Amino acid sequence: MRARVIDRADVLKIVDFLRRDRYQVVAPFFGRGRDTVFDVVTDANRDSVQLHLPNPYYPPKRYVLPQIHRLLTARRTILTTRRTGGGQLRIDVPEDEPRLAIFGIRSCDLAAIGHLDRFFLGREYRDTYYERLRRNLFFVNVVCTDTELDIDDDCFCVCADTGPAARELFDLQLMHLGGEYMIVAGSPAGEAVLSHPACRQATPAHVARRREILSEVRKRFKDVTSWYSMASRLISLGEVGEKTWEEIGNRCLECGGCSYVCPTCTCFTVTDRSTADGVTERIRLWDSCALTGFTRMAGGHNPRKAVHDRRNRRFFRKLSHYFVQRELSVACVGCGRCVEVCHGDVGMPSVVEIIRRAAAARNETR
Amino acid sequence: MAHILTTCTFCGVGCGIYLEEDGFRITGGYPSMSHPANQGRICVRGWNVHEVASSPDRLKQPLIRDGGGFREASWDEATSFVAARLKHIRSEHGPDAIGFINSPRCSNEEGFLLQKLARAVVGTNNVDHGMGAYRSASIEVLMEMLGVPAATNSIADIEQSDVIVVNGVDLALQLPTIGGRVIRAKMGGAKLIVIDPRRHRIAEHADFFLQTRPGTDRLLYGAMAKVIVDRGLADLKFLKSRCQNYEAFLASVHAYDALWVADACDIPPGLLESAAIAFASGQRGMIMYATGAEARGADTIRSMVDLALLTGNVGRKGTGVMPLAEHNNLQGTCDVGVQPQLLPGYASVNDEAARRHFESLWGAPISTRPGLTTRGMIEAAFDGSIRALWIDRHDPATAYARASIVAALDRLDFMVVQHLFMTETAQRADVILPVVAFGEERATFTSTERRIQLAEKVIDPPPGPLPAWDQIVRVANRLGARWSYTSSSQVMDEIRRAVPFYEGASYDNLSREYGRQWPCTADRPLGTALLFADEAPSEPFRLAPFPMPEMAGSCMIAEYPFALIVGRSLYYWHHNVLVQHSETLKREHRVLQLDYPEGFVDINPEDARELGVRDSGKVRITTLNGSAVSTARVTGSVKRGTIFIPFFLHEVIGQLFGEPDSSGGSSDWPICARVERV
Amino acid sequence: MSPQQTENIYLPKPATIERVVDEIEDVKTFYWRFEDPAEQEAFGRFMPGQFAMLSVFGAGEIAISLPPSPTEAETFFTVRRVGSVTAALHELRPGAAVGVRGPYGNGFPMESYYGRNLVFVAGGIGLIPLRSCIVYALHNRERFGRIQVFYGARTPKDLMYVEDLERWQKDPAFDCWLTVDSADSQWRGHVGVVGSLFKRPDVQMPIENTTAFVCGPPVMFRFVLRDLQGMGYADGNIVSTLERYMKCGVGKCGHCCIGVAYVCTDGPVFTYEQIRRLGEVI
Repeated sequence: MRARVIDRADVLKIVDFLRRDRYQVVAPFFGRGRDTVFDVVTDANRDSVQLHLPNPYYPPKRYVLPQIHRLLTARRTILTTRRTGGGQLRIDVPEDEPRLAIFGIRSCDLAAIGHLDRFFLGREYRDTYYERLRRNLFFVNVVCTDTELDIDDDCFCVCADTGPAARELFDLQLMHLGGEYMIVAGSPAGEAVLSHPACRQATPAHVARRREILSEVRKRFKDVTSWYSMASRLISLGEVGEKTWEEIGNRCLECGGCSYVCPTCTCFTVTDRSTADGVTERIRLWDSCALTGFTRMAGGHNPRKAVHDRRNRRFFRKLSHYFVQRELSVACVGCGRCVEVCHGDVGMPSVVEIIRRAAAARNETR
Repeated sequence: MAHILTTCTFCGVGCGIYLEEDGFRITGGYPSMSHPANQGRICVRGWNVHEVASSPDRLKQPLIRDGGGFREASWDEATSFVAARLKHIRSEHGPDAIGFINSPRCSNEEGFLLQKLARAVVGTNNVDHGMGAYRSASIEVLMEMLGVPAATNSIADIEQSDVIVVNGVDLALQLPTIGGRVIRAKMGGAKLIVIDPRRHRIAEHADFFLQTRPGTDRLLYGAMAKVIVDRGLADLKFLKSRCQNYEAFLASVHAYDALWVADACDIPPGLLESAAIAFASGQRGMIMYATGAEARGADTIRSMVDLALLTGNVGRKGTGVMPLAEHNNLQGTCDVGVQPQLLPGYASVNDEAARRHFESLWGAPISTRPGLTTRGMIEAAFDGSIRALWIDRHDPATAYARASIVAALDRLDFMVVQHLFMTETAQRADVILPVVAFGEERATFTSTERRIQLAEKVIDPPPGPLPAWDQIVRVANRLGARWSYTSSSQVMDEIRRAVPFYEGASYDNLSREYGRQWPCTADRPLGTALLFADEAPSEPFRLAPFPMPEMAGSCMIAEYPFALIVGRSLYYWHHNVLVQHSETLKREHRVLQLDYPEGFVDINPEDARELGVRDSGKVRITTLNGSAVSTARVTGSVKRGTIFIPFFLHEVIGQLFGEPDSSGGSSDWPICARVERV
Repeated sequence: MSPQQTENIYLPKPATIERVVDEIEDVKTFYWRFEDPAEQEAFGRFMPGQFAMLSVFGAGEIAISLPPSPTEAETFFTVRRVGSVTAALHELRPGAAVGVRGPYGNGFPMESYYGRNLVFVAGGIGLIPLRSCIVYALHNRERFGRIQVFYGARTPKDLMYVEDLERWQKDPAFDCWLTVDSADSQWRGHVGVVGSLFKRPDVQMPIENTTAFVCGPPVMFRFVLRDLQGMGYADGNIVSTLERYMKCGVGKCGHCCIGVAYVCTDGPVFTYEQIRRLGEVI
């Protein structure tokens, strides 16, 4: 790995370079209040691109799994008994996706992309639509170093072992060292950018400074060593009591928000819409295991009717050893979005805490 | 892919959401972290609101009835046809033969112009919003007791309360953003008192769950006041310095017998007492209740306001009286005058000075004849004195469980419906005017915390539909008015002159930050988060003494031993036409309907055992008015002697309630019923 | 499918409904063919117990069992009208265009049953997913030991695949027992729940070296399971197919995931031993 440094003032030249290289670039911007957002960089907003700011709430997973995505259109179908004639069915799939660079993706969200890759591209079937979007992505990871702006009390990437600095999957990684940024390539496409004249060779002093800053940044996080492991073990063994799930379930208001904002949640639903006479559009939409209809079968049987069964499901799916082995990672990257989105404060950290507390209480009474 | 901050238009919370668009359609939506009402959270409706605008089922062109069906018409033809018909009916039968009903989902601009069309162009006060078919008790009571017909506090205040009363509303399912705040307040240490005949999600979190017998809440509050006064926990300083009538109130409280009341309410006396003490001992107490179809009657609301005043819980952060609107613009619709007896800004039609003011503003006389409420208009349609109705985004044919409404609509000479979709009501119309969807126009809505918010235009509407306000302008001008509005912001500029507490709410002002909470005036351009915060009392508050009644108002007929109440159930959100056009919401909404095609009736396990009724077994419910068969859901969520039926099945409710009375079935007025196994 | 798979896994292939047969009330069988003969050829190599995704464009896509055996010439689905997609399907006439993709799922591991006795127990429309396996076994009769079919329905009118049943009952190569919960005037067969057949004196069920296949409504499943366990069948030798709400069929949408399994890719065929260990109540 050949490290380079680039002056702070020159960092956005990477954005310019990528834009000239036929990438559509999305980057984080400040919105209203403390809202932040990934948006397309244009000539007009280029100077407002932010390197350090609270991680945008709407997760970058939407660039590989959009909230609403058209899968295909079908024409000349027979929908009713009025038309029983045959005829060819024409099924069209939307055109290929453009090259997209995500500038400023955080380490947690990048780790989530890795998780999604293993889920959507691993095992027996490769998800066609995911793959199409994914293969055109270029990632510029920015390491969270600003303890005021980048990191807040809900962040727990250190526990999830996904940050503050990503170890893989980026094409380029930027880290603030004071007046300059260290820039590291993680792919041949990233290497190509390092030839930019604004990049200089890094010195051992830079590398040492990087290490120093990272260990400082880690102190910003709460001390929660092996934070998941106990909850993970109890869930895997089925040793979390019904009462505990009920406590969690009572605080779930079934909004689905935790799934929607989660950068590792993958569930979707598929639906047909008739757009004009005989033309059907098939779309897929984000779905959530928090909702009653998620598992209800035609005919009425619903294996997860009670809200606490659905909560149980979410955390079993994310934390159980079986799925961790199957996907090679806990399906939680510590971004903290579920903390902010939850009406009843049963995001990942609270649930882990409730499970730990319940187990401790049970051990006491034994 | 721009992200535009706007306001969710499903319910009265008015959550801030971002909509993302890709140039021609809305591709996603997510909550704003910074919006003071929701701070990063929204409910499942908000998460899926983006699907509604892209629904393929939308109406595209004006439709005019043509025999048994409709034919498409141009805007010119449709609006001139409407104007000609209205003109004809007015000249034949007088202006009061025409009525105007809108939905409390309509924007302020739409509502304002509709009532102006009624009053200044057609010449009638027959204008009301759809919820007028139920009760607008909250507005009357708050006007009478506090002088301001709205929530005294802000949603963000909830987490600053240290004791909260939630009366008769399943916040978790109806207003989840507020429900979440209550749960988090409770986790932060606040005491939670839930008063409800049904055990629901919020009740599971309560420190004090007072599961009352339906119809007894009024008594309960009286007894709580008595406990508070007896224990010396009343805020006498507040009463003396800021309230009128407190001696009479205190005297009336003394007559209450807490033991007797506890018995009438069917709750343990100790629980009543400790809940009262907990409320009075808090530093910052808040009381919440619903104003929708499950609304409490005027007397119950009076007693809740009494309790807040008795304990000095008005005018400080974390305190207050919070009526909660289920509809996104119930507050604004009332603010801009969509009520028969009240002009914009709540001036009475009988107030001559106010009438003069509007006459000079609008250059037209205003009728002094009293207008009809929604229910009155529908009854008058049935008896023939109303000949034409204009219905904006409302769907009375499905909104109320009364077959007589359909019969009344069918008797009209003429009906105009403005809507996004072909509703049951629209199918009976003579002219249908398609409106634009959420995200396709700029318009303002006023949330349940008095927050006037600008919903932004995110995408262009499809070709065909026009904004509803624009349609009203076109018809008004064909009726001889000379309205020159070219944008919704110009309508708002007129609202600012008509409604004094909207004075400072220009589009320019509203588009900054997160709207403005009224009063928003020239000298308070930033609006007012907290009412009555000033120490100097303006008008004193008025307590409402309420003598202890002789007997409790619950079911007393031996042959009908059950108190039947009707209410919301999971994912049943008022006029579900919006829900029906989102794939996710449609699925969730249908779960209960598919599981219980004949509806269900919640019955307590002990009652069920005595009657030999099994879960999922069939039962017959009989009331004085009728009888229906439904499926039993045996559940501890209702107590012995109470049965609950969800709104979602109109047939069942229609059979039970008879015609045409529509006042029964709320928790305040339970219906006496009998249950038998079938 | 290999990890190098490049085709669009969500793309249904156009197919045509050729023939529609009424089975019982609310249940119809739809004979269909792909428009492209090469697709038909490739699809024909499915395993008994697998399923397909069927698109009725405009109404949606559903997961659906494959009742034919790969040893049969025709492809068909047998569908009960339960939801909006099946309702739309029931409206279709011969000539209508649909979309099909698949086959998906593990299917029955037929080779592992070679040399064993097979006992099939079906209730109501539970015969649909078992039919494929039964016909496959009959077409490969010499590879298996004894074969028994026990099939129960509510009334004689609710018995499915009547032509098959008539043929099966006459076939000396195996035993086929029918029963109904309530008989009509013409019914001369057994009356009672399907488990009551096991106790008939003329029925002798093999236990050793035997695999039992059970499909039917949840109540029937529970009773039959108890009967079989009581007779000494090991949980690992009791096989069933699970049904779940599915949107993709390929392990991505998440709806069918129960416990540690994706029913669509890890199933739908499971032994009862596996079902017990899935980690969620069925």
